[in-house]
Amino acid sequence: MTTSPRQTVEAFLTGFRHLDSDAALSTVSADARITVYPLQIVDAGRDAMATLLQDIARSLPDLMLTVRSVLELGGVVVAEVKIEGTQAADFLGVVNQEKHLDVDSAWRFTVTGEEITGIDVYWCQNQLLRRLAVKRTDQIAIV
Amino acid sequence: MTELASAPATMTAEQAVAVVTEFFDRYRRRDVEGMVDLCTDNADFSYPPFEVWAKQRVFRGDGKVRTVGKVIWTGLINSFPNLGNVVHQIDGNDNGDVAVVCDITGTQQIAWAFIKPAGGSIVAPHLFILHVDGDGLIDSIRAYWDNAQVCRDLGHLEVD
Repeated sequence: MTTSPRQTVEAFLTGFRHLDSDAALSTVSADARITVYPLQIVDAGRDAMATLLQDIARSLPDLMLTVRSVLELGGVVVAEVKIEGTQAADFLGVVNQEKHLDVDSAWRFTVTGEEITGIDVYWCQNQLLRRLAVKRTDQIAIV
Repeated sequence: MTELASAPATMTAEQAVAVVTEFFDRYRRRDVEGMVDLCTDNADFSYPPFEVWAKQRVFRGDGKVRTVGKVIWTGLINSFPNLGNVVHQIDGNDNGDVAVVCDITGTQQIAWAFIKPAGGSIVAPHLFILHVDGDGLIDSIRAYWDNAQVCRDLGHLEVD
């Protein structure tokens, strides 16, 4: 039985939701290209996604993902995901103040065969920093 | 209102992509009325990164194209008179869903939100998600980008 691009992406999101980065990454090709615009990560390797998922799992242990939509557009799948959680450790350079975080994000996946070969991630870093009580983007460790 | 005379009851991916391509062509020409004409009267609009935190209220980029969207586009063009876009990729499906990967570009000339003009320029990667209805009109527009990068490029380092 073949797996559709949408099913492949849903498997990734299920792993993400369950803080199981290995399960999520099992859907991602070893040579996938990863871009996370708010973190200024552009055209990086699969390890960049592993690091991001592990950081989220460590820093937001009560993670709640709300998937607003998953759209299959040929070999491209776009998912709108609200990422919520309570900060429990330093996260992306921001010291832990146990703030609640909710950030709207969009993930654009390129799926080839049954593997994800590209992920582009969009969210507003100002929205994220605002939730975590950061005042300036050049001083994110000072709150 | 501009309507496609031969619009079928359902969209093919190619037709939906054509409508959205025209929308971005008009955006590039800074033709806000033309952009709005490609949308249904009640088209939904959502720019989640657009949050302006004032002392007692938060202005969000959520609502309708003809109320919130038109105001934001007009304000952007006032602040960035050479506002443009570079479309890198458009993908659609037969349900009328279309995703657009593009850069929004421009040079700031007057204040935008809390950002004073310093002549800074932006090249901001965006992902737009639109839906085209069976009449060939856009009935939903959503967009995601990193507003922190926009602020940095304009020399504004405060989160609010």
